[in-house]
Amino acid sequence: MAELSQSSGKRAAATAPAQQDRHAAAIAMYRKRNKFGLFFWIPLVWLIIVAIAAIGAPFWGLPPADEIDWVYLQSPPVEGHPLGTDVLGRDLLSRIIWGARVSLTVGFAAPFIGVGAGMILGMIAGYYRGWADEVIGIAIDSWLAIPGLVVLLLFAVVFGGSLFMVCFSLGLLFIPTAARITRAATLNYAGREFVLAARAMGASDFRILTKEVLPNIIWPLIAFILIDIPIAIVIEGALSFLGLSVKAPTPSWGGIIAEGREHLSVSPHISMYPTIVMFLTVLSFNLVGDAIRRRLADVREGAI
Amino acid sequence: MGEIILDVRNQRTAFATGRGMLQAVDGVSFTLERGKTLGVVGESGSGKSVLSRSIMRLLPGTSMTGPGSQILLNGKDLTAMTENQLRRMRGPEMAIVFQDPMTALNPTLSIGKQIMEVLMFHLKMSKRDARAKAVDLLKAVGLPQPDVRVDQYPHQLSGGMRQRVAIAIAIACEPDLLIADEPTTALDVTVQAEILDLLQRMVRERNMAMILITHDMGVVAGRCDDVAVMYAGKIVEKAPVRSLFSETRMPYTAALLSSIPRVTDPPHRKLDAIEGRPPDLINPPPGCPFAPRCRHAEDACNRAVPELTGTADHQWACIKPLNTEAAA
Amino acid sequence: MNYLIKRFQRLLIVLGVVTLITFLLVNVLPGDVAYEIAGMDSSEEEVQEIREELGLNRPVLIRYVEWVTGIFTGDWGTSYISDEDVWEAITDRFPVSFELMILAQILALLLAIPAGMISAFRPNGRGDRIIGTIAFASVSMPSFMTAILLIYFFSLHLGWLPATGYEPLSEGLWQNLRPMILPALSLALVEWTILMRTLRVEMIAVLQENYIALARAKGMSNLRILLVHALRPSSFSMITLLGLQVARLLGGTIIIEQIFGIPGVGRLLIHAVYTRDFIVIQGCVTFFALAFVTANFLVDIAYAWLDPRVRTRGAHG
Repeated sequence: MAELSQSSGKRAAATAPAQQDRHAAAIAMYRKRNKFGLFFWIPLVWLIIVAIAAIGAPFWGLPPADEIDWVYLQSPPVEGHPLGTDVLGRDLLSRIIWGARVSLTVGFAAPFIGVGAGMILGMIAGYYRGWADEVIGIAIDSWLAIPGLVVLLLFAVVFGGSLFMVCFSLGLLFIPTAARITRAATLNYAGREFVLAARAMGASDFRILTKEVLPNIIWPLIAFILIDIPIAIVIEGALSFLGLSVKAPTPSWGGIIAEGREHLSVSPHISMYPTIVMFLTVLSFNLVGDAIRRRLADVREGAI
Repeated sequence: MGEIILDVRNQRTAFATGRGMLQAVDGVSFTLERGKTLGVVGESGSGKSVLSRSIMRLLPGTSMTGPGSQILLNGKDLTAMTENQLRRMRGPEMAIVFQDPMTALNPTLSIGKQIMEVLMFHLKMSKRDARAKAVDLLKAVGLPQPDVRVDQYPHQLSGGMRQRVAIAIAIACEPDLLIADEPTTALDVTVQAEILDLLQRMVRERNMAMILITHDMGVVAGRCDDVAVMYAGKIVEKAPVRSLFSETRMPYTAALLSSIPRVTDPPHRKLDAIEGRPPDLINPPPGCPFAPRCRHAEDACNRAVPELTGTADHQWACIKPLNTEAAA
Repeated sequence: MNYLIKRFQRLLIVLGVVTLITFLLVNVLPGDVAYEIAGMDSSEEEVQEIREELGLNRPVLIRYVEWVTGIFTGDWGTSYISDEDVWEAITDRFPVSFELMILAQILALLLAIPAGMISAFRPNGRGDRIIGTIAFASVSMPSFMTAILLIYFFSLHLGWLPATGYEPLSEGLWQNLRPMILPALSLALVEWTILMRTLRVEMIAVLQENYIALARAKGMSNLRILLVHALRPSSFSMITLLGLQVARLLGGTIIIEQIFGIPGVGRLLIHAVYTRDFIVIQGCVTFFALAFVTANFLVDIAYAWLDPRVRTRGAHG
């Protein structure tokens, strides 16, 4: 018996390298699409640059974003103003960097607020069912029936344009979808054996929701936040383009683009530079988010 | 010997998966003559459906066909054909009937349209001729009120009727080879025999060759000429149906046979299900793939994969075959 | 049938909630229209007088009920600023917004359907990756940016199309369409990606179906399989989305109408927002919600056309 197992062991060892190579090749072929490639790293580097520039905005020795340079009004790039100046002679680079602060703050805060609130509502609806589900369902439907920008316009009119209110009202827009995703996932898990078991053992609803349900539904929500970040930046851009985001003179990307719109034929650079920066940033968030999302899906698939 | 329609030589089909290479069909060879029916029997996961799709060349992009694999249909090598050449083969030379008639018909097209498009593409029929022919075909497969049914949608038909429609589609261009991939598994017991009889009649009337794939030994019994038993991607026993039943060599075949319920059984007799599960096809065991589940297995069985041996008629892949002097 | 009635009830409740919330938001909070009308340096008495005149100092709920019953009888109120009838103001401008939306959806579908089919045909193949990259770039480009770029390139640089303006249909079809091309394109270049991705995902699933394998086994060409066999069963989510997107597009038209100077409902709303003309804001939001609800009913009807199962069930009861 010992002899046999030894001999078969030798056989296995002899064929192992060839086998291993074959499997490695097959796995590589299967996984290839989900590797972090250049389309992940280049955008990530760009985002880091933007983030550092925005966070350290006061330390770069740039002229203040609202300082007027009477010598260079509406000027193309010159020494001292690497990206030129706007109609009032304000440094564009400085305005774009300060504007990044608004965009990034809104981009991160709004999805967290929205997905957080949506998650709580969705878990309540999916776990308790009954009238709570019905009421939340109606609220969500009503919310969806108003175009997002209209909601924001209403809020802008009623509450005025502070950064906090912009984050808050933008966050509201993400509630319905987050709540629906959570509700569906919660419904799915609330009936599973391990939840029933926990309930049978007398666990409280709060404990079941946080310890049993939440860990299982958190991944799709994280993926959802990743999608929402660029969307939030875009909507804030639209809002500030209409002049209804943070109040002037605080610079924001959409606002700078709108200011340059009037002078598109003479000084296209005023609109074009912030457009390019905003486009690259949103694109980068989309690409990075997508790569992470695929990776998440892959890891979870592998874990099963 | 009759005219050889299909000649499969050393067919190997593998899939790339997240865990490695899955060898679904592993060196299968056989020939099939005109007018004959070959039964392919095995549990789910034995590779019999992948084999049928390998012959039709209907494999997904993650699949790989081994070097040295050849499939000759009427002498033409399917593995060497371009997609365009294959398209002209599918329909007039080979056709397939799938397992589940509930999902095999397009829910958004009328059944008439689904038959007519084959006729119009391959036989270049006009719309009117194709429609008339479609009604004829529906009549031939025994669908009541064919001239009404032709305009109906799949969901308006029962499972048995849908499978009749699927058969009508398959035989529309008079193919030489018909593959029936578990054609009755998803149907009510009462309709199963009807559909099998219909297939048999069509094969005889049109002088086709048929591969009948099933997991049910009872299905092949009266309807096939030869039977190939598949396990873990390989043919483990192949014989004319009579000798397979009377002189079973491979313990796996024996196990499959004893799992058929018999009329003579006392009521509530427990069926002999085969214990254990088929082997992992990504990292197969070094020896006979059935050895871990085999009652007769010895140490020698775990050492090397047994080759197919025996006569030209009756072959088996077992080093300790049943019903032979060696076993006695 | 039962399902439709239930949905209808739900939509009525939704409309009720929407109007109530809008009304409360606009009316309960400070900074009301009386100040706006009276002007900057008016006394508190003057403001009170205006409030009296407009009936603003009566209980909110009573005013809400009056306003809602007005909506049903066609009396949507009168603008405090321009004295225009709100219902007329909206219905005068809606055809313009509607035309813009329809054009945008058509352009978006024209881009999305072929792109989605190419992507779904070989997921992760070269075509899929190229289209995916274009889609990513496209979706990263909000409509107001696209609009600016399109104006810069096609109007200022090439001078092919006007940068702003609107011509009624009575001036001739081409005259009417010409200034609409850039605005519709600005909207479509964002919307198509969402439609394309939805179609792609669903079509990838449909292409795994047995009936597609059967169509292949019948020797049908790839083009025919995609167009005849796969497209219809793959478009359910996309059609649903067309309805849901009405809400998004209505939002999008607001900003696009503003940029291109198109006299639609969006521009009416923005103007009302800038002047705090609350009764017009209320009216516009209600109208948008109504449009959304109607669009989603149309989607239900489109289902019936797409899926013969729904169709025949309806026909035979």
